Amino acid sequence: MIVPIETVLGLSAVLFAIGVFGFLARRNIILMLVSVEVMLNAVNLSLAGFSRHFEDPRGQVLALFVIAVAAAEAGVGLGLVIALNRNRPGAGVGDLTSLKW
Amino acid sequence: MTFLPAQATFYYMAAASVLSAVAAVTRRNPVHSMLWVLALFLHVAGIFLLLGAEFLAAVQVIVYAGAILVFYLFVLMLLDLSGEEARPRFGRHWPLAAVVGLSFTGLAWLEQVETPGRAGSRPAPAESSTVAESPQETGGPPLGSLSAVGKDLFGPFALPFELASLVLLAAIVGAVTLAGRRAES
Repeated sequence: MIVPIETVLGLSAVLFAIGVFGFLARRNIILMLVSVEVMLNAVNLSLAGFSRHFEDPRGQVLALFVIAVAAAEAGVGLGLVIALNRNRPGAGVGDLTSLKW
Repeated sequence: MTFLPAQATFYYMAAASVLSAVAAVTRRNPVHSMLWVLALFLHVAGIFLLLGAEFLAAVQVIVYAGAILVFYLFVLMLLDLSGEEARPRFGRHWPLAAVVGLSFTGLAWLEQVETPGRAGSRPAPAESSTVAESPQETGGPPLGSLSAVGKDLFGPFALPFELASLVLLAAIVGAVTLAGRRAES
């Protein structure tokens, strides 16, 4: 292994934290979904690192499942964005107040 | 520690992916964000290659960068968010979000530091007594190759593999139902 496993896990944690920050701070639904993709990529990175560390291809198989779920999430999430945009133009979460108590 | 070219490449990829992720979540123009995410995905694919996961790197480029990201860009063009650049990028609570992200990293770091036997001090299974069971020793396919991943995907993971197709079918039906044009409207 070219680098210690801690380095890969640290990089994965930093990328995940950036994704968390983007999801919580951005006000655009599409960019929130993109931040979720960044988080999923961070998880894939740690799975590949574990797969390398333990010499076990199962980590890579799990990463493939994560990619499949990410594709499904992108499809449904962007479908929701288009459906919302049909009723009210724009993609800001601040405008979606009709369910606010 | 000798500084090998592979390690230098890894640290370049790591730094570039962190920088592109930061740029992706902070750019004002959503299309610029998408392009930074593309840079992030390609650099992560490079890290996959360095970690010996060739098939995963190919899937990352083809599915993530090729399909999912283009899908996001299409929706972005479809919506025509012309007033987006004038709006504030972050909500008023963005320092709180930064605190959440930093504390996540801090917790992960603390967990790594305070664990009595750190992961690096334990020998990897390839160096211990199970070395004869590793695929390289038994003449099996090398780790990360298409045949090694495929044997697991269609062997022990056959049921989750089929369930993933069901998840994707449900997502297709859901996307068409949500975004398709209603006949009555």
